[in-house]
Amino acid sequence: MTEKYYLDTFSVTIRQMEDLISAALSRGGDFADIYFEYTTGSDLLLRDGEVASGGFNIDYGAGIRVLKGEKTGYAYSEDTGMRNMLSAARAAAMIAEGSSGHGHAGTRRGKTGQNMTARTEAQPLSAESLYPMQMEWRQTEASAFLPFLKSLGEKIGAMDSRVAKVTARLSYGQSDIMMFNSLGELTCDTRPLGSVTASVIFTSGGRSENKTVSRSFRTGAEMITDALAEEMAREAVSGIDERFEARRPKGGQMPVVMGAGASGILLHEAMGHAFEADFNRKGQSIFSGRMGERICASGIDIVDDGTIPANRGTCRYDDEGIPGQKTWMVKDGVLNSYLHDRISAAWFGVSPTGNGRRESFRFNPIPRMRATYMENGSASPEDIISSVRKGIYVDEFSNGQVKIGEGDFTFYVKSGRLIEDGRLTMPVKDINIIGNGPQALADMTAVGNDLKIDNGTWTCGKEQSAAVSCGIPTVLIKSLTVGGE
Amino acid sequence: MEMDNKTDLIDESEKAAARRCMETAIRLGASQVRISLNKSETDSFTLLNGELDKVTRSADRSIFMHLFTDGRYGTFSTNVFEGKSLDGFVSQALSTVRMLAPDPYRRLPDPDRTAKDAVTGTETGLYDATYRDTDEKMKLGAALSGSLFRQGKCVRGDGYEVISEECEYSDGCDDNYTIDSQGFEGRHIETSFAYCSEITITDSKGDRYSGYWWDSSPERDGMDIISCADTALLKAIRQIGPRRHKSGPETMVVDRSVSSRLVAPLFSALNAMSLQQKSSFLPDSLGEKVFSDGLTIMDMARTYGKPGSRLYDSEGVATAEVPVISGGVVREYFVNTHMAGKTGMKPTIEGVSRPVLLPFNGMSVPCGSAVLDSEEKEITLRDILKGCGSGIYVCGFNGGNCNPVTGDFSYGIEGFVFSGGEITSPVREMLITGNMKRLWNSLLAAGTDARACTRWQMPTLAFQNVDFSA
Repeated sequence: MTEKYYLDTFSVTIRQMEDLISAALSRGGDFADIYFEYTTGSDLLLRDGEVASGGFNIDYGAGIRVLKGEKTGYAYSEDTGMRNMLSAARAAAMIAEGSSGHGHAGTRRGKTGQNMTARTEAQPLSAESLYPMQMEWRQTEASAFLPFLKSLGEKIGAMDSRVAKVTARLSYGQSDIMMFNSLGELTCDTRPLGSVTASVIFTSGGRSENKTVSRSFRTGAEMITDALAEEMAREAVSGIDERFEARRPKGGQMPVVMGAGASGILLHEAMGHAFEADFNRKGQSIFSGRMGERICASGIDIVDDGTIPANRGTCRYDDEGIPGQKTWMVKDGVLNSYLHDRISAAWFGVSPTGNGRRESFRFNPIPRMRATYMENGSASPEDIISSVRKGIYVDEFSNGQVKIGEGDFTFYVKSGRLIEDGRLTMPVKDINIIGNGPQALADMTAVGNDLKIDNGTWTCGKEQSAAVSCGIPTVLIKSLTVGGE
Repeated sequence: MEMDNKTDLIDESEKAAARRCMETAIRLGASQVRISLNKSETDSFTLLNGELDKVTRSADRSIFMHLFTDGRYGTFSTNVFEGKSLDGFVSQALSTVRMLAPDPYRRLPDPDRTAKDAVTGTETGLYDATYRDTDEKMKLGAALSGSLFRQGKCVRGDGYEVISEECEYSDGCDDNYTIDSQGFEGRHIETSFAYCSEITITDSKGDRYSGYWWDSSPERDGMDIISCADTALLKAIRQIGPRRHKSGPETMVVDRSVSSRLVAPLFSALNAMSLQQKSSFLPDSLGEKVFSDGLTIMDMARTYGKPGSRLYDSEGVATAEVPVISGGVVREYFVNTHMAGKTGMKPTIEGVSRPVLLPFNGMSVPCGSAVLDSEEKEITLRDILKGCGSGIYVCGFNGGNCNPVTGDFSYGIEGFVFSGGEITSPVREMLITGNMKRLWNSLLAAGTDARACTRWQMPTLAFQNVDFSA
C-alpha cells in the first residue's frame, strides 16, 4: 500500500496532522502522536452442521496522545474530520496543564523531563515477509469460506463416533494503521489476522467431555485450506480416550513437566507480565530493580519476539511506530531487558523495544508481549520425563493469571498425565496449577531441545485485549502446587 | 415521546441514522430488522502516587444491525454514521446474509413479549442528572481526594512501606436506543461514577503485596471515595507473612467481593444455548432439585435505582422479577427467541440481569449472641466466620476455570486461615478443586452483606468440605 492510500483512507493530509500535533502540544506537552485505524472484521459460525450465522463489523477512528514526562493524556474521535480531531487533541493536551498545576507527593519519582522521543536502531522488516498475504481478506467473498467450515465440521464428526456437537468459527480481518508523531515520523501498516476455532462436545456412556482447538495467523485468506481443516480435525479428536479416563490427581506440591508448545503460558503469566516495563517503572513488579541479576540457571534464554513471520503476536511496527524486534528478556539466566514502550524506555534511558501496543484507537499504548517463548536447551523430552519419580506432565491449558507484585501465577490444565517412576501413566484434567514466578524460574532444572510455538488464538487481557502467542520446549520445574482431591 | 434534552446522549440525527438503516434494509428485501444504537462517554483521571498520571476521554457510538432475510440471519456493526456509508453498510450486510445457510428459527421475538415501558430511558432510575454538571475540575478534585498521598496519610507503618499507589476516578454515561421492524422502541440510559485504588507495599524483607478496592454508583454522591485507599492498603497489609497451609478438606468462607465467581458457572449452565449445544452441566434440571435447600437466587431485574436493573434485554424482551433457583430447585432457563424455536422450550429472557442470592443459615452452631435463624436478621461476615468456627476465608481468586460440560472446577485462591471464628494468618499459593453441583449442595450459609454497588447481589458465602491443595 502507498502512503497516499493511507492518507486517502483517513481523509487527512500531512499538513493537517501537523496542525493536530500543534494543538496537542499547545499546553506544554513533550511529545504527541496520532494513531489512525480502519478495521474490517468478519465472523462466520458453523453450528449444528450449518454456517447459519455470521456478520461483519467496521471500526474507524483516530486516537491522539500527549505525553508530559511519563504522564499521558488521551482522547479519540470516531471520525477524522478536523473539527472532531482538534477537539480530541485539545482534550488530550489537558495532561500537560493538569500535571503542572498539581505538585508531587509521591515517594518514588520517575525521571521526568528525560527525552521522551527515544529512537531505536531497529529497522522494520518488510510487510511481505512478516504478514504474507497472497489473498486479501477484504477482497475475498465470505462465501469462499463456507465449504471450509462445513468440511471442518464433517471431518471432526467422521473421525470419532462420540462427537455430539461441533461449533467452528472463522474470524478474519484487516487493519489499516497510520501513525504520525511530533518527531514528524509517518508510519503506515496493514495487518491481517485470521483465526479458526473448533469446539467439540463428545458423549459416551452418559458422560460428556469437550475439547477446543484453534489456529491463528497474520496472513491472508490463503491460510484457509483443506490441509488446515484436516490438521485441526485430527487434533480435535486426539486424546479423547484419555479424557474420558482422566481423573483428578491428589493435589499438592510436586515436580511438573511442561510439554512443548502451549506450556509457554507459563512464560507469559509467570515471567512476561512481570518483565513489562510499566510495572517495573512503578515499582510494582516482583522483578523491579533486578536488571542484570541472575534469576534462573545459566543457559536459559527467554525471548519476546515481534518478528516471526505470520505469527499472531508479530508486529512489523508496534502501535507507537517502533519497528518490531526480538527482545531477550532473559539471556543465559540473567535478567537482560524489560519490555518497553516509549514512556518506559525514556524513563529507564534505553531504546524502545517495540512493545508499545494497544487494542484499538480507543486505547493508549502500553507495554505488551508479542510472541513469548524460551529458546531450546539440550535435554531430550524423554530424558526429562524419565528423570521424574513422581510428578505430573501437562500439555493443554486455558486461562492463566498473575499477581504482579507478589509474582504468584496460575494456569488451568485441561489435560496431562501423572508421571510415576519416570513413565507417563494416568490421564488427568481440569486442575489448576499455582506457583511463584521468580521461584518457578529458579526451580527450572531442565530445558528440552524441542521448542514449539503454539499457534492458537491466545489473547492477553492486561487492561486491553491483545493478540499474542507463546511457546516453550519441554521443561521441568522441580516444585509447583497442583490442584486435586 | 418527550425526552429531557439534558439526559440525551443519543441525538435525533443518530436516531435517524438507526431508522435509515432499518428502512433501507426492509426496502432492499430484509424480512425483519433490529437495530441497536449504543452511545457512551467516559472520562477518567488516574493518579500515580498522588500525581495526575493519565487523563482519558472516551466517546463511542455504534450501530448494531440484526438482519433476518430469506430465513437467514446475520449481525453487523459500524461506527461510521455518514448516510452514504450507512447505505453501503446495509447493502453489503444483506449480500452477506444471503450467502449463509437458512435457519428457520431465527426471527424477532413476539411483539407481545417486548417491553412497552422503556420510553425515556430513565425509568430504571439509573440516571443522575448531576452528571452533566460535573466539570473537569470537579473530576480532578474527586480523583485527588481519594489518594493516600493527597490525604496526607502515612505511607509507612509498622513493618511496611507503600511503594506504589494508583487510583482512578471515572464517570460516564451509556445510552441505548433499540428499535425493530415490528415496532419495538426501547431506551435505556444510565450514568456511572467509580473510584478504585490499588496499593503495592513492601514488607521489611522486601516482599511485595498488593491490595485493591473500589466503589461505584449510578449517582455522583453515591460512592465512598475516601475509604477505597484505606481498604486497599489494609488488604495489602493483611497479606504480610503468608504461611503455607496443609492440603485437605476445609470449611470455606468466600468474601462478598469475589463470591460471584462461584455463581457465574450456574448462569452459564442455565443458558439454553449451552443446553442445546450439550455444553452444560445442568441438562434436564428445570423444576428439579439440584442444589442445597438454602440456595435461592432471584432475578430482581426491575429494582428502581439499583445497578443491573433493565427493562428489556438485547432482543427487546421485557424483563421480569423471577426466581432462577428457589430452595435448590431450578426455576428458570434463559431461552432467547432463537433457542426457543430450536429446542421447543418456552422463551424467557436471554440472561440474568440483577441476580440476588438470598440469605441462608445452615450452620448448626449459634455464633455468640447472633442466632442466625431468620432471613429477617442481618448475617454478616463475622457471624459466618463464628458460625463456621475454623476453615479458610477466601478473599480472592487467582486464575482457574470451570469445565462447562462437567462442572468440574479448580481455582487459585488467596485469603486467610480462621480459627474460633477469628482470622489467624494469611495463606497463598493455594487451590480449591471440586464440582459445581457438589459445591452448591454443601452450602452452609449466605450472608445479607452483598455490596450495593454491584450488579450481581452476591453476599459472603460458606461451604463445607471443600478440597484445598497447598
